Amino acid sequence: MLKIKVSQALPNPLQIDIECAPGELHALVGPSGSGKTSVLRTIAGLSNASLGKIECGNQTWFEANELQGITKSFSPAERSCGFLFQQYALFPHLTALENVCIPLQNSEKDLTKRKAIAMDWLNHMGIIELADRLPHQLSGGQQQRVALARALVKKPNALLLDEPFSAIDAPTRQGLYKILAELRRDLPIPIVLVTHDLREADLLADRITVIDQGVGLQTASPHVLFQKPRNSRVAQLVGISNMFEGVFSSGKLSWNHSQYVFEVVDKGKIPPQTPVAWVIPADGLSLHPHAHANTMEARVDQISSLGQIAVVQLQINDGAHLITWEASAAELRRLGLEIGKNTHVEIDGSKIHIMPLRQINDPRHFTS
Amino acid sequence: MDMDAILLSLKLALWTLALIIPFGVWVAHALLRLNRSKPWIEAALALPLVLPPTVLGYYLLVGLGGKSIFGIPLVFSFTGILIASLIVNLPFAIQPIQRAFEAINPEIIEAAQVSGLSNWQIFRLIELPLAWRGITSAAVLTFAHTLGEFGVVLMVGGAIPGETKTVSIAIYDKVQNFDATGAGVLSLILLLTSLVAITVSYGVFGRSASRQKSGRA
Repeated sequence: MLKIKVSQALPNPLQIDIECAPGELHALVGPSGSGKTSVLRTIAGLSNASLGKIECGNQTWFEANELQGITKSFSPAERSCGFLFQQYALFPHLTALENVCIPLQNSEKDLTKRKAIAMDWLNHMGIIELADRLPHQLSGGQQQRVALARALVKKPNALLLDEPFSAIDAPTRQGLYKILAELRRDLPIPIVLVTHDLREADLLADRITVIDQGVGLQTASPHVLFQKPRNSRVAQLVGISNMFEGVFSSGKLSWNHSQYVFEVVDKGKIPPQTPVAWVIPADGLSLHPHAHANTMEARVDQISSLGQIAVVQLQINDGAHLITWEASAAELRRLGLEIGKNTHVEIDGSKIHIMPLRQINDPRHFTS
Repeated sequence: MDMDAILLSLKLALWTLALIIPFGVWVAHALLRLNRSKPWIEAALALPLVLPPTVLGYYLLVGLGGKSIFGIPLVFSFTGILIASLIVNLPFAIQPIQRAFEAINPEIIEAAQVSGLSNWQIFRLIELPLAWRGITSAAVLTFAHTLGEFGVVLMVGGAIPGETKTVSIAIYDKVQNFDATGAGVLSLILLLTSLVAITVSYGVFGRSASRQKSGRA
């Protein structure tokens, strides 16, 4: 188990508490400059946080407290993580084979054996015929396979992947997804993946941590994250389109700037008259051709067709809110939706998820 | 032709190279890790570029004369002009090597660290091979510059044939003695040697630049 609990206020705020089990793929997701890569560097030992603890298996790699400062910090070599850099960072003067041999420099003294092990990995990555090429003679996807072989050849304690799929084309990406899936089956080590692409995280990760300005806002499985974001910022970052504000009072949610009030589940956690943010997932929304007790009248504002899927923007008749609704082309025809036409929207109160409007995320308030 | 002077200049250039290149690599690499003191050290190392040779020569005369800081008089001797040549060449040797080290993408060094290499291994297996064109360039510049150095060598060494009278001083002597042919021949030799050295350096530069492109930030 890889356990990371670190924080600092300066130079860049950082406040992360994550665990990654052997064989688990844990994705760190956030906008550019949110500090995702800093977390990876802190795990690998390329930089240190000012407070906290990093453990892997039964080893403590890093420990620091307020009184004594850093009391323990293993070097990157001692931590022995496999690190896949965003720009691959291959050694430009060495061939693919020599690049993969480098991490074995100290563990395997016999050069012939080193080469044999490295060749095995290049074979595993499907690029054995490129062994004698220099990095600049390889395509992006090929360079990345060499870099991945280099990261894995010494059997690392953890695999750290920094935006590995951002610079390669879609077909190459599919190939790498497959390699990654095979790796997870064959090599039971914690894998931490940094990405800004939510779809990718959703596709690959067992758990996702959403990071914003260095602070881990929520860690959850992709399903939970999309259904129940912890707060409005998380909802915003995971791209939930139907997020609104309201006031919650004992089971009733009144929608701001609107006459509508919804009956929602009251877990007794929120005091009366609390301003909240709320989201409604796609399965809590339905459209009807005719009005009935729980529907709101809405006008079709915009329809964007994306292949078989259409994104429909609906203007609620209170005039203040837009709701986004995703539908198949067939459903669109069934309802006879066209721009300017009126329809009826129903929001299922039991599917509404309520969150605090803001949260305090100042690292100075973090206790390790 | 003044064979003695040519051989002496070559001897001086080769000795200078042998001593200054390892030192230059060490200093240039050490400078990578300095922050606050770096501008001061860089300025001190660049001084020989801007000071008149006479000023440098004067201080060297004072430092190396009498019993000198090494305990024995070194002026007007080969060792004396070698020390002068080393000091004069500091910027020519260090700056290209320093630029070459600085041009290595830091991520490549980090990749070497996470690959488990020690600092010495990183230096030997990654940094040195990636900085080799800078080192070659430093060697060529130092060599050519030592062959042509005049002012400081004259101040510190005088013009003792076979001991301190280098090609450039021999040329000066010949001009003073109205030996236009002798001066012309020696000048041509110096001109061609420098031209070849610089051409070789540029050739090395051009080839390695394309080979190592992917490693540069």
